[in-house]
Amino acid sequence: MSDAEVELGQDIITVPEEFALRDEVRWLKSEDRDLFSFIRESMNKIEPAYLSTYPPSECGIATFCKDLATSVAKYTPFSKPTVIAVKREHEIEPYERVVRFQILKEDRQSYIDAARYVNDSSIDIVSVQHEYGIFGGPDGEYVLDFLEALEKPAVATLHTVLHSPSPNQRRITQEMARLCDVLVVMVKTGRQILLDSYNVDPSKITIIPHGVPNVHRVSAGKVKRALGLADNQILSTFGLINRGKGIENVIKAMPRILERYPNAIYLVLGETHPGVRKHEGESYRNMLTELISELGLEHNVRFNNRFLTLNELVRYLCATDVYITPYLNKDQISSGTLAYALGCGKATLSTPYLYAEEVLADGRGILIEFNSPDSIADHVIRVLSDSKLRESLESAAYRYARRAAWFNVAVSYLDLFDRVMRRSRVVKQVPV
Amino acid sequence: MEMDLVINVRRDTAVPIIDLAGELDAYTSARFREAMIDLIEAGAASLIISMMKVEYIDSSGLGALVGGLKRSSEHGGKIVIVCDNPQIRKVFEITGLEKVFPLFEDEKDAVNVLTRRDTSAG
Repeated sequence: MSDAEVELGQDIITVPEEFALRDEVRWLKSEDRDLFSFIRESMNKIEPAYLSTYPPSECGIATFCKDLATSVAKYTPFSKPTVIAVKREHEIEPYERVVRFQILKEDRQSYIDAARYVNDSSIDIVSVQHEYGIFGGPDGEYVLDFLEALEKPAVATLHTVLHSPSPNQRRITQEMARLCDVLVVMVKTGRQILLDSYNVDPSKITIIPHGVPNVHRVSAGKVKRALGLADNQILSTFGLINRGKGIENVIKAMPRILERYPNAIYLVLGETHPGVRKHEGESYRNMLTELISELGLEHNVRFNNRFLTLNELVRYLCATDVYITPYLNKDQISSGTLAYALGCGKATLSTPYLYAEEVLADGRGILIEFNSPDSIADHVIRVLSDSKLRESLESAAYRYARRAAWFNVAVSYLDLFDRVMRRSRVVKQVPV
Repeated sequence: MEMDLVINVRRDTAVPIIDLAGELDAYTSARFREAMIDLIEAGAASLIISMMKVEYIDSSGLGALVGGLKRSSEHGGKIVIVCDNPQIRKVFEITGLEKVFPLFEDEKDAVNVLTRRDTSAG
């Protein structure tokens, strides 16, 4: 039963669409031309381009880029966003229309062509989503070819900031700092590492948190009742599955948790990372399945082995009593899944990787030891048995994450784009 | 739900004032839009929206305002905003909508501007 799909109701929680400003303006065009013209002349027009992987590619950065581009576009109804998608060679991706240029990951020339495309367009600024693995060349160094050829301002959001980079990784990050107007990191720790390990000019670093969906808080009890899970304690972990997730440690903790809470269920939500699947197939998931059989946990650990839509994900999260990120990599500097759990106001346990240490501080979550099923069991039982503690964790997490709702993050990026563009115009006007 | 939107209407000033408190977002903006339209259909051409206690606003909140302004302008009216929260003001500034919805930090200034305008128009 460990591979059983967990079916959740469709109408319990839905993240509302938020395109009203764009819709209203479009409506005005036919209803009130004068007011439409007045608003069109008044509103700022910023045309950003985003260089990134992009859905339907299944990767956290692709999802991030789509969320960011969509959220920014909601505030700029008279601007046309552009995505320059990095894709693996020979893949044919049915991209949305917003993808106006494609880079073949290992084709160096296509990075230069992409920069020329931007130079010749009305695009005002480029937002690069950076992780070493998504670009071509050693450590993804071809991204530098794009930046070297680019004649428009650029900002780069760093999804990975390594404490101890290889010499080539350090060089790439330092070159990006030189070629970009601003580097964006999601937590203070990222800023400190850029200062200490890369000697980046502090004036070039901005902190903007990882965005989270706009979810108004509902109690897990209410959602679970609607889903017929009222008698179960729900633990969950979601995201693209790979060996770095440490899910086996939660599975090993389940026998102790079940002694106290026999109806507890651990949901593992998400498919195997496509890149991992390509190299090792489903061997990690198969290992987890064997572990579940060994421990007799078929009824208490369930997988949903596919890429989840936002509404499905939010439904699962809202039904969760304790969210867990048992990750194994101490250096991880961002986590969309942890950010989303906080955004849904969940009581969260996590191993102390860099991002988790910062966002779960001050009573917003509980840190567990790396590779320690006992530590997981202790703290899950503690949170489940202490409703005051759980409520306190949930409230603190939700309050903290509200400022990171995508609509707020979009304003921060728009503000950044605007500042960089103004500065760039001033620099260009200064005679050399 | 937490941090919902509280809407309160004051009619004791020359121009009706809608006080908002909480979050003006995709979950709550429809109620705000209805409140504006009810007042306009009841005869108030211009409106003051007090966002002194608004914590967050998203694009659907801005959309509701544009919808309200359409109704208001059909009756020769205006919509102005009272707000001293820099985060909320930033949203209007960064979008350019502060040119469409004049922002005031003081409610009296907003009332004065609208009543002067209504008097001169009359």
